[in-house]
Amino acid sequence: MARFVVRRLMVMIALLVAISIVTFLAFVVVLPGSDQAAMIAGRLANPAEVHLISVKYGFDRPIWVQYVKTMANIFDGSAYSYQSSFNVLSQIEAGFPTTLSLALGAGIIWLGTSIVVGTLAAIKAGRYTDQVLTVLSMIGVSMPVFFLGAVLIYFLGYKAGVIPLGGYVPLTQSPSQWLWHLVAPWFTLSVLFIGIYSRVLRSTILDTINEDFVRTAKAKGLSERQVLLRHILRNSLVPIISLWGLDLAQVIGGGAILTESVYNLHGIGYLVYQSVTRLDTVTLLSVVMLTALAVVVIGALTEIVYAFLDPRIRLQ
Amino acid sequence: MAVAMLAGAAALSVLGGTSVAAASSTPTVQMVEGTAPQSLDPGLDYTTQGSEVNWIVYTGLTTYAHASGTAGTTLIPGLATALPVISNGGKTYTVTLRKGLVFSNGKPVVASDFAYTVERAIKIPWGGSGTFITPVIQGATAYSTGKAKTISGITTDNATGKIVINLVAPYGPFDNVLAFPALGVIPSGTPMTAQPTSPPPGVGPYEVTNIVPNTSYDVVKNPRWAKMSIPGIPAGYENVDVKISSNVSANALSVLNNSVDIFDWADTIPGSLLSQIQSQAADRYKLVNLGGSTYYIFLNYQEKPFNNQLAREAVVVGLNQDEMSRLGSGTLVPACYFLPPDVPGHPTAPCPYGTPGTGNLAKAKLLVKQSGMEGQPVTVWSESRAPRQQWMTYYTSFLNSIGFKATQKVIADATYFTTIGESKSLHPQTGFADWNQDFPNPVDFYGVLLDGNFILPVNNENFGDTNDPHVNAEVTKLGATPTTDLSSVASQWQALDEYTAKHALLAVFGYQKFPFFTSNRIIYSKLVFQPIYGWDLTSFDLK
Amino acid sequence: MTPTDEPHAGTALNTGIPVELLAEAAELGPGIGPYQLAWRRLRRSRVSLAFGGLFALIVVLCLLAPIYSHYIAHIGPNAEPYTFTIGGKTEDVLNSVGIPIGPTWQLGPYFLGADQNNRDVAVRLLYGGRNSLEIGAAATLFTMILATICGLLAGYFRGLTDGIISRVLDVIWAYPVYLLGIMLGTVIEVRGLGPFHNTTLMTTAAVIGFVYIPYVAKPIRAQVLALREREFVDAARQQGLGPLRIIVSEILPNVASTIIVFIPLMLANAVLTEAGLTYLGAGVRPPNPSWGTMISDGIAQIPASFSNVLIPGIMLVLAVLSVNVFGDGLRDALDPRAKIRLAKE
Repeated sequence: MARFVVRRLMVMIALLVAISIVTFLAFVVVLPGSDQAAMIAGRLANPAEVHLISVKYGFDRPIWVQYVKTMANIFDGSAYSYQSSFNVLSQIEAGFPTTLSLALGAGIIWLGTSIVVGTLAAIKAGRYTDQVLTVLSMIGVSMPVFFLGAVLIYFLGYKAGVIPLGGYVPLTQSPSQWLWHLVAPWFTLSVLFIGIYSRVLRSTILDTINEDFVRTAKAKGLSERQVLLRHILRNSLVPIISLWGLDLAQVIGGGAILTESVYNLHGIGYLVYQSVTRLDTVTLLSVVMLTALAVVVIGALTEIVYAFLDPRIRLQ
Repeated sequence: MAVAMLAGAAALSVLGGTSVAAASSTPTVQMVEGTAPQSLDPGLDYTTQGSEVNWIVYTGLTTYAHASGTAGTTLIPGLATALPVISNGGKTYTVTLRKGLVFSNGKPVVASDFAYTVERAIKIPWGGSGTFITPVIQGATAYSTGKAKTISGITTDNATGKIVINLVAPYGPFDNVLAFPALGVIPSGTPMTAQPTSPPPGVGPYEVTNIVPNTSYDVVKNPRWAKMSIPGIPAGYENVDVKISSNVSANALSVLNNSVDIFDWADTIPGSLLSQIQSQAADRYKLVNLGGSTYYIFLNYQEKPFNNQLAREAVVVGLNQDEMSRLGSGTLVPACYFLPPDVPGHPTAPCPYGTPGTGNLAKAKLLVKQSGMEGQPVTVWSESRAPRQQWMTYYTSFLNSIGFKATQKVIADATYFTTIGESKSLHPQTGFADWNQDFPNPVDFYGVLLDGNFILPVNNENFGDTNDPHVNAEVTKLGATPTTDLSSVASQWQALDEYTAKHALLAVFGYQKFPFFTSNRIIYSKLVFQPIYGWDLTSFDLK
Repeated sequence: MTPTDEPHAGTALNTGIPVELLAEAAELGPGIGPYQLAWRRLRRSRVSLAFGGLFALIVVLCLLAPIYSHYIAHIGPNAEPYTFTIGGKTEDVLNSVGIPIGPTWQLGPYFLGADQNNRDVAVRLLYGGRNSLEIGAAATLFTMILATICGLLAGYFRGLTDGIISRVLDVIWAYPVYLLGIMLGTVIEVRGLGPFHNTTLMTTAAVIGFVYIPYVAKPIRAQVLALREREFVDAARQQGLGPLRIIVSEILPNVASTIIVFIPLMLANAVLTEAGLTYLGAGVRPPNPSWGTMISDGIAQIPASFSNVLIPGIMLVLAVLSVNVFGDGLRDALDPRAKIRLAKE
């Protein structure tokens, strides 16, 4: 068991290193040192100044030296964006409450709704309710997130004045405003996930229904409801929960770029998007590392838990 | 469940204040910006949003009058007792520091702080230092390359407060350079790296606190200012909370509904809201031509097809400036002269190719045929944000309709100017450019953007590689005149600008009008809009 | 890989059909081949067929873009006229503050209105649809080919091959989809990457296709891992067939249904991703129209001209929805465990 855990950890670390190298290289390719320096120096700088900046930030050093230096700065928290000089950690801190509010709220909503919808669709499989729910789920996964957001903002915001036109109000400042500004983003972000999760849950439940242990339970005389809750759901929820953890980690780490853009929420996703458009390597690298870390850690933890529960996997 | 959520939202909207109903009741002025300042550290920032705040937080040796219109372009003494005494053929500037000055943290100001401020602006570096400081002040280049520990051209005496600055060569706008917020005096010993979340203290009616990156910052009154009473710089009425929100429509609506007080003039109010604003808020909205910025299309003087004057004329004659204005929500004033109205030297003569209007396509096609450049492939360079991208999309289809084979290339805003500035490798044929005055001296436009002596291999600002000997000679000659003597050479600048228009060296397509739009809490009549910096925050007064 | 009418007993050598489908077809009696069975099931699902038809209709309409543009609208997709004539009157396309005219609902120019650059929305909708669907198809092809190769190689050879391929896939999959898409799109746009130097429709397609490779490769790999332990593969090995031959003739046919099922799913994903990437500025570049550019241009104009958001948006949703529903029906038809549905019908 210990060997398995250690192996997984080593793979995890190797993965993180690979991700950091790929991200770093992508931006060094885009903006070789001289261009980065020119961009930082601004419109009116002369070549001598640009060279000074190159030296100051180390753009004239070999790539691997730059990489090591950048990563070192990120890990001790001293990395700062070249364009605005804002410390990267403080930018992430500034955006974190927004993204966390978005992610957790939406996560709870989509998980709960998916369980209800998926279970209902499975129970009534093949019948009218199932078909309606299927179509709704289909529409959910077929709609671009920013289109849905724009439609809501236009009809419910500009026209009806029922929702705000975007923006974020901190929880500490005004809980009711905080909630009101997040309702539409939560809904928009959830729609996509509900469509996916409810379908997955539905087919997992339908598969489980045929399993032997369910038939045994029924034979033992347990009611349908008891069978459903105690056996089927418990088994079917496991893959969903691990998927949920991964998706949540991705959203927190800046995966909700579209939702945050369209609703003007200045969170981590927005920070990511800004970093790419401004070609701000350091900020982007830091955020990507954080997300990758979260995703990889949760993935590894899930595998370790599965291995703990199911010895067959360990021996693979 | 989702439907229930939305019903709940409706309920909440009744309870909590909305951007549609309740007006703000806070005692501070709420301002909203679509774009964040680059930095609230004056040693780094070179943006309009940043200057707007920094100039009242960090006063320099000179500063501008707190007045709207042309009166606001007058220089007045700031931390100096009087405007600099210029001697030695325009190469030596002498000032004396006022007595009793203290920074916002209580530390007294001494003359050597000025020298330190200049060194820091070079070291960080400030975006304008490469043009306005390093090549201008003696010893600055040696300092910036690390060969010297201080700037030899600046001598200060802390006992008497005397500051002497020696220039490399006479530089007319140097008084204006001293007024840049980047040269707003800060204490010696401030770290030589940018301090974006806790900027250094300055001497000014306001100071900045509570900076949340990419989100907000507060501009509050400096309690130590009253004691120093520098004439010409008002103390200000209210504190200002600034929020950054990129949804400009929402910002405009918030100001309309009085939940936010000040709309950022650098943002464009979307056309769809204009009629609403004009009818509901006529007493607190107007569109003003500031006269300090020009939008133009650069035409490459040395590359086909625009190395041919007839081809350039075709663009000037055929461009539909009325359409360009509509694409920009009706905020452009048609124009043909490079120098905008508020810069001395702006010609008063009628435009050489007729008053700009909807453009003469037929004549333009004819000119293209005559030039022999018909069918030439052209790449049109364009920024990505609106309406600049729309302008260039229209320009591209215009070029196609008069006989060229044009394609548009859109570049991310962050790298647009550095990309087209790579003249050595790129030779961009044509594309979007604009310029907002740093100070009301034509050399700020010509010397930077159209001088053939300043075509740089990278970071070029003369995007069209324009190299006209007459222009070069005039700029060199007229650029040496100090700002205070500008009126004596104004007519010569006018002649030069008319020459530029006649030879179609670039295709100007408008001067921008900006919205002055506030909530009904603000005393609109007291507002001052400084032509160089924008809103004068010291003029914000709540009813 | 041709479906046969006579199910083989025992091994599925050379039939190219999922073993489960074979078994079921055998249950239903002679004369019914497994693919015919699938087709029958698909035919019975009227909803799937209806949406499949809708998608086909959309494709045809988009392909007819030049005809609409030339004969009905009399405007090209990139034309930006200052004025236009309707019912004998000449009108400005943009009003004085830049708001374009809305739909005229009359056959001719600006049937669905104008966009913020005076261009005809209906014409661009069709041309844009062509581009969006082209990108979707190319991206899907890219993904399916590469993912199948990766899945087959990793699953069959295991060991080091699997190790390398799986780790590479993990790295790709660790990035949020849009982040990777923006990064690659920006790199190509600014600097060029390998053979790609200018952002064209195909480079966008390649970026989208690349990003989704792990999504398809992982399930294929899992299926191959299971399949290679089966008796018929052993039999083939004992017959002396080389690994590549085995992969192509034994394994590939058995993952065929998985591949088929993924195709509409990936097409839907690709069209959606194109819209998202374009909205974020890293997808299709102007002046090429696509549903993504139209929606994001429209969003920038809110609250004016919301029809410019709704029209391309609804078109996009309909296209993606119809592909999704059809794909769902296809999966049900090919999926032997759809027994439950049959039982209830």
